[in-house]
Amino acid sequence: MSEMTRREALGLSAATLASVTLSDLILGPAEAAALAAGPSAGIGYFSRFGVTEALIKTALGEALSHGGDHADVFFQHRVGNNYLLEDGAVNRAMTNVELGVGVRVVKGDQTGYGFTEDLTLEGIRLAARTAAAIADGPARPGPTRFHAVSDLPSRYPVKTRWEDVRPEQKLPLLNGLNEKALAADPRMRKVVVNFADQASVILVADSSGRIVEDAQPMTSLYLSCVAEQDGRREQNAYNVAGRADIGYYTAERLERMVREAVSRTTILFEAVPAPAGEMPVVLAAGASGILLHEAIGHGMEADFNRKNVSIYSDKIGKPVAAPFVNIVDEGTQAEARGALNVDDEANPVDRTMLVQDGILATYLHDSISAKHYGVKPTGNGRRESYQFAPMPRMRSTYMLPGPHKKEEILASVKSGIYCTNFTNGQVQIGAGDFTFYVKNGYLIEDGKLTRPVKDVNVIGNGPKVLEKIDMVADDLKIDEGGWTCGKNGQGVPVSQGIPTVRVASITVGGAGKRG
Amino acid sequence: MAASRELFDVAQRCIDLARAQGAAEVAARAYKTRDVTVQWRDGKLEQINEATTRGASLQLYVDGRYSAAQSSDLRPDALARFVADAVAMTRSLAPDPHRSLPDPSLYGNRPAADLQIDDPAYAGVSPEKRRAVAQALEAGARGVKGADAILSVTGGVNDTRSETVRVHSNGFRGERVDTQFWSYASVSVKDADGRRPEDGAYAGVRFVGELPEAETVGRLSAERAIARLGAKKAASAQLPMVLENRTAGRLAGFLGQPLSARALQQKQSFLEGKLGQAVGSEKMTVTDDPLLPRGFGSRHFDAEGISARRLPIFEKGVLRNCYVDTYYGKKLGMAPTTGSTSNLAWAKGDKDRDGLIAEVQDGILVTGFIGGNSNATTGDFSLGVQGFRIRGGKLAEAVAEMNIAGNHLELWKRLSAVGNDPYPYSPLRTPTLVFDGVQFAGL
Repeated sequence: MSEMTRREALGLSAATLASVTLSDLILGPAEAAALAAGPSAGIGYFSRFGVTEALIKTALGEALSHGGDHADVFFQHRVGNNYLLEDGAVNRAMTNVELGVGVRVVKGDQTGYGFTEDLTLEGIRLAARTAAAIADGPARPGPTRFHAVSDLPSRYPVKTRWEDVRPEQKLPLLNGLNEKALAADPRMRKVVVNFADQASVILVADSSGRIVEDAQPMTSLYLSCVAEQDGRREQNAYNVAGRADIGYYTAERLERMVREAVSRTTILFEAVPAPAGEMPVVLAAGASGILLHEAIGHGMEADFNRKNVSIYSDKIGKPVAAPFVNIVDEGTQAEARGALNVDDEANPVDRTMLVQDGILATYLHDSISAKHYGVKPTGNGRRESYQFAPMPRMRSTYMLPGPHKKEEILASVKSGIYCTNFTNGQVQIGAGDFTFYVKNGYLIEDGKLTRPVKDVNVIGNGPKVLEKIDMVADDLKIDEGGWTCGKNGQGVPVSQGIPTVRVASITVGGAGKRG
Repeated sequence: MAASRELFDVAQRCIDLARAQGAAEVAARAYKTRDVTVQWRDGKLEQINEATTRGASLQLYVDGRYSAAQSSDLRPDALARFVADAVAMTRSLAPDPHRSLPDPSLYGNRPAADLQIDDPAYAGVSPEKRRAVAQALEAGARGVKGADAILSVTGGVNDTRSETVRVHSNGFRGERVDTQFWSYASVSVKDADGRRPEDGAYAGVRFVGELPEAETVGRLSAERAIARLGAKKAASAQLPMVLENRTAGRLAGFLGQPLSARALQQKQSFLEGKLGQAVGSEKMTVTDDPLLPRGFGSRHFDAEGISARRLPIFEKGVLRNCYVDTYYGKKLGMAPTTGSTSNLAWAKGDKDRDGLIAEVQDGILVTGFIGGNSNATTGDFSLGVQGFRIRGGKLAEAVAEMNIAGNHLELWKRLSAVGNDPYPYSPLRTPTLVFDGVQFAGL
């Protein structure tokens, strides 16, 4: 069923990431040349599926047959492969091929949406007629000619397309991680490795005559370990993901994966119960950016604000945090999982300041909310696939470096916890309450990291926690993990990061005594 | 109604193509689903989504190797290339002696009872009717006492009709047609401190005529949201927890993964070695029931084609069965049961939610979880919660921004009461559950 309440979630889902392809047959050399000619060539890639300007014109004309302010079509071809290693062998693979087109009609803040996997003229017209039902006025004309969106950036350059990478080149990655993880510690019992690669190409064309194609690669690698000590078992994992080709998997990255997965698992044997109650919490640089995603990112998505249901709906221009707090959402970082050359509404993707010098600055917009607020779209209009209408979504969300040092932050805490790794989080947009689940952390006692803790949820309220961020270090790190953000039933890849920060007080959901 | 002939043709074509490429055995599934959502917000239509989606998926057994593949591109040439690629790719993998289609004897004795999951009235649901229901949901919400606090109301309806067929090269052939109808409403309210809490209500049925009145669902959504006003964090404490039936599914759902043969075989289950042992209190009796009429998990055969039957999971707290599929069953030396949950049937108590609350002197009613997680390997869990304090058997102030934590192996032994109110809108069908001595974190 449809999402019922506005609760948004974030999780590490690389293990289930639908991914990629095989096919020299699907993408032959001639077609590859068409793709290499780039998005500025208008319809390049999708011509192989019989997509023409005439077809798109007909679809947009049908979409606007009852009026409406705007219409667009979103074609997508996405081929993904997953390879799984279990019990020492890569003996399972999953391939997923998605091909379809979605047609959208927008009238004010009302949306009609239809999609089809049948890319014939009749199939697309049917989807367009469905979308047109949102409006009830006279027909308006579609575009008479199209202009390709030019000068797209190149934020995920691909040397070797995933379609051209043979399984034999991928399998050693999985076998290598398995061997190294098993050899790293005598307590290792089971290793699982999941490799995913995905080649997605999109085409967006709209009633203003814009047309753009973008080839969007994605890959991820997940390493899970089960260890046993004195009859006890613990499991943990490490994963990496990016919009990249196979060159992403450098020896250094693979070694880090093994080191992190093994140490994060074996340290769990030493963990003591986490305390319960309010206390200072220090968040390690990197994956702790999950705090920003939940505490402010979702609440700043402009659809919630134009509907007046976000806790940030009346706070633009107001101070929300200390002056040294600056929070951005951007899609410009090369190879990042949240990077984009163009959003799913054909709008440019750049950098957006959510909080500048402690002042709430800019919402994250799609074209509907940008029109509502009379501002330029911020390039946050995203969707899971052709089966969904776009909405404002985060890309890569992080906090800029601040004036403090990690050492002084830790030294300042008499009794609290230090959080290093996370699995998932969630937020209630209107109440502002949010959580994140800490997989690994430490007690802080008298300014020093002492015993490890594990499996503890932390719960706070967005605006209250922003006010309580009282120290920010200079060690910003963007996490390399495969985060997927869920909203209204749609999952999209995102990145996040943060320097070491201190939250003066927040509720730690442990089952033990206060530290 | 029977699934369309065309879907069987697609599935059979996949099998023929794969065998022509050298696959030894093949399982093919083809599906077609129509899904319509109409959403209404604050006095006007907000969104219409409507589409019919389709696709095919394959499980391939080639030269002792295995892979799965799925495609939405069913054009004949594309399908042929897709299958050829998938078979070729399977050959690049390591052999796996444990992979096979299910033993055909498990396809036998398939139940034939009408599951009542396909509403013949589906085709008569009109766009006008959907809009009228969506609109009535809002009207119901706006009609409650305290509606002045309402900032926004979203009401919507969603209905789907799915046709799925499954054909295996070793003799299985099955089909399924099912319908679902949902109505939902979500309400945001303005609190004195600037918070905008929200809650909602929803209902889902197999037969459109059984949907509750839209006004009732709308009213409940607003009442729940308004009840969140003034919610505060309470002190950390160990207290009895009454867990509302609608919310209990999330907690019970965490047992699914450790009950799976994969988790057992991969040493990622805190339930390993517990078959025949008590892991919960005597109040915990749960049966997997695929044959429940009109259930959301009802089925004649499972995802491998294995004929459905009732399966006791817990009897008075004792673990009786796990979810064992063909593959991990072979690895473990266990006979397959079924690889996935259908509907859960819980042994009922004799009181409803309010009756159970009346028996608690000092505790917390949990009406919603927020985030958190559960460790399937160790049983540790930590979950954000909201709800209400219970004092002297009565609901008191609303609480929010709190958390519960513990270990499943201890928690389920402290299950002290079960309601008579299985939640009808989920296949997990959890009743209200009462646990003693739960660690709440707050102030």
